[in-house]
Amino acid sequence: MARYGMVLDYKNCINCKACEVACKEENGILLGADKHRIWVGTGEIEGEYPLLSIASSAFIPSQCQHCDEAPCQEVCPTNATYYNENGVVCIDPDKCILCSYCMNACPYDARYVDTRAMVIDKCTFCSDTRLARGETTTACQNTCPTKVRIFGDLDDPNSEISEVLRTREHFSLKSHLGTEPKLFYLT
Amino acid sequence: MQVEISRRRFLQGSATLCVVGAGITTTLFSSEKEKEKLTPTTKTGTKDVRLVPTLCEMCVNKCAAIARVENGVVTKLDPNPYFPKSKNMLCARGNAGIQALYDPDRLKYPMIRIGKKGEGKFKKVTWDEAFTYIKESMVKILDEEKDNRSSFLFCAGEGMAEHTFKMFYEGFGSANWLNHSSICLQTVASGYGVTIGEYPQVDFENTKYIIMAGANRAEAIVTPDTMDGFKKIKAKKNAAKMVCIDPRFTNTAAKSDVWLPIKPGTDLAFVLALTYVTLQEELYDKEYVAAHFNHFEAYKEMVITNNYTPEWAEAITGIKAEEIYKVAREFMENAPQAIYYPGRRSTFSKNDFQLRRAMAIFQALGGGIDCEGGLVFGGKLPLEDHESLAPMYENAKARATVKKENNAGYSDCAVVSGGGSWISWRNNFLENKHPYNTRGMFCYKHNPMMNMPNTKKTAQMLQKMELLVCIDTMPSDTVMYADVVLPECTYLERTDPVKTFAGIEPSIAQRNKVIEPMYDTKPVIEILRGLTKKISKPLFEITKKYDAEVQEAIMDSSEEEVYAEFDLTLPFAHSQEELNAHAVSKYPQAKENLQKYGVHYPDMQTYFKQLSANEYESYPKNKRFYTVNGKKPKTPSGKVECKIDSFTQKGVDAMPIWRDEYAFHVPEGKFRLLSGRHAQFTQTGTANNMMLNDLMHENYLWINKRVANEKGIAFGNLIEVTSSIGSTRLKAYPTEKIAPDQLFFIHGFGQEASGLTWTYKNGGNDNAIIEDTMEPVYGAAVMHETNVEIRKV
Repeated sequence: MARYGMVLDYKNCINCKACEVACKEENGILLGADKHRIWVGTGEIEGEYPLLSIASSAFIPSQCQHCDEAPCQEVCPTNATYYNENGVVCIDPDKCILCSYCMNACPYDARYVDTRAMVIDKCTFCSDTRLARGETTTACQNTCPTKVRIFGDLDDPNSEISEVLRTREHFSLKSHLGTEPKLFYLT
Repeated sequence: MQVEISRRRFLQGSATLCVVGAGITTTLFSSEKEKEKLTPTTKTGTKDVRLVPTLCEMCVNKCAAIARVENGVVTKLDPNPYFPKSKNMLCARGNAGIQALYDPDRLKYPMIRIGKKGEGKFKKVTWDEAFTYIKESMVKILDEEKDNRSSFLFCAGEGMAEHTFKMFYEGFGSANWLNHSSICLQTVASGYGVTIGEYPQVDFENTKYIIMAGANRAEAIVTPDTMDGFKKIKAKKNAAKMVCIDPRFTNTAAKSDVWLPIKPGTDLAFVLALTYVTLQEELYDKEYVAAHFNHFEAYKEMVITNNYTPEWAEAITGIKAEEIYKVAREFMENAPQAIYYPGRRSTFSKNDFQLRRAMAIFQALGGGIDCEGGLVFGGKLPLEDHESLAPMYENAKARATVKKENNAGYSDCAVVSGGGSWISWRNNFLENKHPYNTRGMFCYKHNPMMNMPNTKKTAQMLQKMELLVCIDTMPSDTVMYADVVLPECTYLERTDPVKTFAGIEPSIAQRNKVIEPMYDTKPVIEILRGLTKKISKPLFEITKKYDAEVQEAIMDSSEEEVYAEFDLTLPFAHSQEELNAHAVSKYPQAKENLQKYGVHYPDMQTYFKQLSANEYESYPKNKRFYTVNGKKPKTPSGKVECKIDSFTQKGVDAMPIWRDEYAFHVPEGKFRLLSGRHAQFTQTGTANNMMLNDLMHENYLWINKRVANEKGIAFGNLIEVTSSIGSTRLKAYPTEKIAPDQLFFIHGFGQEASGLTWTYKNGGNDNAIIEDTMEPVYGAAVMHETNVEIRKV
C-alpha cells in the first residue's frame, strides 16, 4: 500500500521525447501520435525575431495526473476506471465499454482510445510492467536525460518525493477544479 | 512545432503515415503479409527475462543500454547506470533501437543487382554467390590496373566496427579512404588539435559560465554534455549561466539564460571581439598566458591593431556591442570555471577552422584548460593492441589527389587528412582529374547519397563505379546503386570491438550481442572473414604477376612465407569475443565485468554507487580526472599556439583573422539555407525507424512568419526550395524562431529509396540543394553558405 505520485522538475525538460518513446516501448503502446500516455506540451513562442521571449517557450511534460478525485473515475458507468491499492488511477479493459465519458471528463486530455485492446487507455505509472516486477522507477523517469521526474510514495515521509515537496515550491495543474492531482511541477 | 501541440493535429499526421505506408509496394524488401502482422511495440512482461548490457548505435554517442529479452524478443532497452559517459539515460532514439532491429525493411540476405544502377532491382543470392561475384570483378579490375590497389575506394560511416572494416582496407592496400570527417567535425577537431593539442571534452558539472555557440545540445544530443549542461543551468544551487549564440531559436536557446541571434557564419567576428575586450581590458589570466602561450604578443597586437572591437563586430554579427562587452567580462570573471563550448558538428562556413582556433585561444586566455569547470582532456584506460596486416604493394599508388600546378599543395585544400575530403575526391573523380582510375568501391555503413552536398554528383559518381559493394543494414539511397549488397546485422545482434572512453570518469565499454542475427545477416567481421577467404589468394596471384618485389621475395624464400604477409584473412581469423578479451587482458575482471555490466574501470566495484532513484556516482570526486596534464595544453610545445607560421606556406592564415569575404550577405529575394539536427533523428540513418517516424513524419521548412504571411504561405503548404544545383520540396512551418532572410530544415529526410517504406519521399533533402563548396584547409563540406529561392507549389 502506497500513495504514488510524481514530481516534475519541468524546467529541466529539453523536449527530446525520450520519455514518450520509453513509455510506448515499455507498455506496448500503439503507434500513432494520438495514442500516447505521456507527452511534452509546447506552445508557439511569443515575440518577433529577434526579440523573442525565452520564458514563453517552456516545455511541459505531462500525463495522467492520477487525481485523488479523478473526474474520469467518477463518470465511468461500468467502474472500469478505478483506483488501485497504490492510489493509481487504472482501467479494467474487461469492463470498459468505450463510452468515452472519461475522455470528455478528464480536464488534462490524458486518455485515448487504444484501438487494439478496445479500451480507453491511460498512464498507469507502469503499474503492470515495471512496478509489478519490483522496480521503483517508471520508464519515463528512468530514461530521461535531464532527470525531470521523481516518482515515489507520497505517504512515506522519508521518500525522495516527499522530501522534494517539503523543500521546493511547486504547483499542480488546474488544481482549482478540485481534482487533487498527484503530479507536482517544481517552480 | 505546431504539429506537436494538439492531439487533433497529431491525428492528421498519423493519417498521412497510413496513406504513405499503404501506398507503396516494396515487394523486394518486405511483403504485405509481413506488414499486416506488424506489432511494433511489445508490452514488457513480469516473468522470465534475460538482461544483456549493450551499447547503443542509434547515433555516435554509444550510450550504454540494458536490453530486455523475453521469449527471444527484445522488448525494451533501458539505460545502463554503470556507464559514466551516458549517466543512466537513453534518449528517444536509444529507446527506439528496437525498431531498427525489427524494421521490416531491413536488408535480409545478400543480393546482386539485376536492374540498372540506382534502380534498386536485385536478386537474392547466397553469400558464396555474392563473394564470387565480388571476386571476379575485383580480379578483373586489379589485373587491368596492374595491381594498383588504390583503384578501389573504401569508405565507412562512424561506428564501433568501422575499425574492423578499416583492417580490410589496410590489408587490401588501397590509399583511398574516405570517412565522415570532412562532412563532420574535421575542422573543429583539427582547430583545437593544433591550438591546444587535442579536441577537448568539457566539465559542465563544475562550470559557472557557458557560451554555447553554434551547438544545439538539446537537439543534437552529446553525452554527457547534454545531461550535465542542462541540469547545471537549471540547477537550484550553483547554477551556471548559459549564453546561446545561434541564428535560430533552438530548443537549446529555449533553455538558455540569454539568446543572442547571430548572422550565419560570423561567429569568428564575435570571438575576435570577445578577445579584443579581454586583451584591451586586461581581463585574461596573466600568469597562465605567461607560462603557457606561444606568440601571445603577436596575437594581441594583431587583434588590437585590427580593431576587432565589439562595435566592429556588431555590424558583422548583428549582436549588440554592449552584449559582447558583457559576455567577455562575465566569461573572464568566471574563468577558469567558464567554457566556450568547442562544439561537435559539421563545418558551416569557410572560416570554421580559424573560428575553432580563435575559440580555443579565447578559452585559454581565461586559463580554463585541463581543469575543473573548464575544458578537460580526461583520463584514458589504454587497451592492448592486436596484430594488424599492412602489406607493402609496390604498385599501389598514393591517394588520388589533385595537386596545384606548381605542386604547392592541393587544388582544393591545404591539407589532406586521413579521412580525406569527400567532396574534393568525388568531384575530381567525376571530372577525371585523378592521376589514375578508381573503379571499385566498398561502402560500409555509409550513405554518400544522403550525407553530403550535391546528391546529383554523388549519384553520378556511384553510376561511374564499375563495382560498388555496400555493407549495410538498410536499403538506403546508396544501397540502391550497389552491384552487390552484403547485409549486416544490427547492433543488437552483434558483439563489436571493445572501446575505451576517455574522460573525467574514464571507462571501457562493450557492445554485447543481445540476440542472434535475424534473417541471413552477419556482423561485418564475419562478412569480411567470408569475403577475404574467397578473394585473398586470387588477389595475391595478381600481386605475384605485377609486383617485382614480391617476385623477388618469393625467389629468396618461398611463396608460402611471402603470402603470409599478404593473407587478407588474418585480421578476421579470431572471433570478436576473443579479440575483445585480448584487448582488455591487462585489467583484472574486465572481461567478466564487460559481459555482466557492459562497463569496466578499475575500482568500479568500490567506486560505483547509487545516490537516488535518478542519480548514480561512478567515481568519487577526488578520484576523477579533471587535470591530467598540469593544466597545460597538449601541443608538442606544451603551449597554446596563437600563431602557426608554417601555415602560411600552405596559404592558411597563421592567426585567426577576419576577412571581408566571410561577411553574411543574402541577395534580395533570396534566403540563406541552414540545416541542422533534431533530437529524434540521427542524420539519415534513423529516418525509417517506425517509432521515430511516429514522432515526426517529415521535416518542415522553417520560414519567418511575417515573410510567410507576405507570401501567402501557411502552415503545411508545399514549398519548392531551389538553389543553383537543384531543388527539393517540403511543407512550410512559419515561425518567429528564424530570421526573415533565412530558412531552415533538418537534415536526413527526402529519401528516394523505395525500399524504405516509412520514410520514402518524406520531406526535403537538404543535400539536393546545398552547394558543394569546401572550406580551404581540409576541404570539408561547407553546409551554410547556400542561398536559395522559394516557390509555393
